[in-house]
Amino acid sequence: MAGGSWHHADGRINPELVRAEFPILATTPGGRPLHYLDSAATAQRPKRVVDALSEFLFTANANPHRGAYTLGAAATDAYEGARNRIAEFLGVPASELVMLGSATEALNLVAHSWGRANIGRADVIVVTEAEHHANLIPWQQIARDADADLEFIPVDDHTGEILWDRLEALLKLRPKIVAVGHVSNVLGSIAPLAEIAAHVHAAGALLAVDGCQAVANMPVNIPSLGADFYAFSAHKMGGLFSGGGLWARADLLAAMAPIETGGDMIREVRLRDATFADGTQRFEAGTPDASGTVALAAACDFLDALGRQAIHDHETLMLERVLRELPEVLPDVRILGAPAGTERAGLVSFSSDLVHAHDLATILDRRGVAIRAGHHCAMPLHEQLELSATARVSVAPYTNDTDLDALFEGLRDARTIFER
Amino acid sequence: MGGMDDLYREQILEHHRNPHNHGTLETPSVSLDGRNPSCGDVITMQLKLNDAGIIEDVAFSGRGCAISQASASLLTDELRGKSADEIVGLGTPYVMELLGVEVGPARVHCALLGLETTQKAIARWRER
Repeated sequence: MAGGSWHHADGRINPELVRAEFPILATTPGGRPLHYLDSAATAQRPKRVVDALSEFLFTANANPHRGAYTLGAAATDAYEGARNRIAEFLGVPASELVMLGSATEALNLVAHSWGRANIGRADVIVVTEAEHHANLIPWQQIARDADADLEFIPVDDHTGEILWDRLEALLKLRPKIVAVGHVSNVLGSIAPLAEIAAHVHAAGALLAVDGCQAVANMPVNIPSLGADFYAFSAHKMGGLFSGGGLWARADLLAAMAPIETGGDMIREVRLRDATFADGTQRFEAGTPDASGTVALAAACDFLDALGRQAIHDHETLMLERVLRELPEVLPDVRILGAPAGTERAGLVSFSSDLVHAHDLATILDRRGVAIRAGHHCAMPLHEQLELSATARVSVAPYTNDTDLDALFEGLRDARTIFER
Repeated sequence: MGGMDDLYREQILEHHRNPHNHGTLETPSVSLDGRNPSCGDVITMQLKLNDAGIIEDVAFSGRGCAISQASASLLTDELRGKSADEIVGLGTPYVMELLGVEVGPARVHCALLGLETTQKAIARWRER
C-alpha cells in the first residue's frame, strides 16, 4: 500500500509501475498484447480490489445489519467501514451517501423521488444536449408524467462543446432543477461546476451532477463543487460493475421518499403499512452489496495512493499526445470537445470522413488496441453534430506511450486501407 | 493484418466508396428507416414491388461504417427480380456470402442492417 511505489522520483505517475497492479494488461486477447484505451466505458480492476473482495468473501461474508453472531458483526463492520471510506474519498459525510447498484440508479433516484415530489405541471427541468442517456431519460420520464417542460443547454454544432453562457437565459424560466455531467463522456470537457452552481442557486434551482467520468480522473471534493446531488459509478473507478452511489444534500435527502421498498430499509412493518428507516438506509432496500462496497473502498485507497491530481496530470499528458498527433495521422480528423490547451479529463472523441468509427475500432483491434466506437449513450449529441458515431480514446493511470504508439500505428493502418 | 485485408478488401471498399443503388426512388412501394441502436448506423431502404410481390427496383441511403454501407450496396444489387418470400427467407449466411468474408461477432449487426431493414420494409409493405 506504500504511496510512493507508483511514481517517478518527481511525483509523476510511472505507468509501468502501475501496470503491474493490473493483471489484465499482461493478457493477450486474440494473441495480441492488449492496449486498453476504453477506461471511460469501464476501468480495469487493480489486483488489490479483487484481493479485498476475496478477503471479504472468504473471511467476513455474512448478511450485514442482521446476524447477532460475530461473523455478522464483522460483515457489518466491513460494509460500514467501506461506506465511510468512500464518503471520505468524496469529501462527504457517510450519512449523506446512498450506496446503490449504479450511477444510473442514482440519477433515477433523484428524478423519481425528488423529481416526482417537486416537479409539477409547467415546471421547468434543464439538462444539456450532451448528457449521457442516464442523465437525460429519467428527466424525460418525469417531464412527461408531470407535464413539465424539458429545456436544453445547447452545444456547439461542430465541436459539441456545451454552451454554458446560454444557461443564464434558461434560468430566467425559473427551472426547478438543472442536471449536468461533471465531465462529458463524449467531449471530455470539465463543466465549470462552481460557477454553474452559483447561477443555478441564485435562480432558486437545484443542481444535479452526473460525476461518472470525473471521480476517477481528477480530484473531486463534492462539497467544494456546489452541487445538490452527485452521482457516481463504481466500475469506472476500478470497483465492480454492481455499484454506484448518490450523494445528496442532507435536508434534501431527509425529505425524499424511497422508490424501492423491501427488507433492510424499514423501521416497523405491519400487514397494511410500514414506516421507513431514517437516513440513507431508507433508499437501500434489500441486502446491501457489501462485497462490492468493500471492493470500491479498496479502489478508493488505490486512487488515493496514486493521487488524484497525479492521475489527472498523467492522463492530461497522454491526452495531449493524442490531441497533438491525431491530426498528423488522420488529416481530416474532427476532434470533439475542448480545443487543445483547454483542460479535459480522461478522454477524447473524434471522427473522420475517411474512416467510420466502427471501421477504425475493428482495424485497431487487430493491433490489440481497444477503443470505443458508437454514440457512447449520447445519441442526441451525435444527432446535433450530424454524426452517427464517433471514436473515443480514454486513458487511465496505466496508459503508457506504448499504448499510444499502437493506437497511432493502427490509425495509420486504417488510413492506408481507406486511401488505397 | 491478414484478416484485415479480407474484411477491408478492395471489393468492399469500392462498394463503400461508390455504393450501388444509392439514392431514392420516385415512387417506392415502401420506404423504411433502419437503425442499429447500439452503434447509431442508419439506413433508409426503398423498394418498388409489383402486385406479385416481386422487387422491381430498390434504392438505399444512409450513413454508417464501411461494412454496413457495403453490405447494403451488395445486397441491393441482388434484390431485383427476387420475391418478397425469398427475401424474407434470407439470413446471416447469405450476407456473409455476399461480403465474401466472415464478419466477426462484434460487427455482424453492421453487416445485417441492410437485409434486416429490407425484411422489415417487406413486412410493412404486406401490412398495406
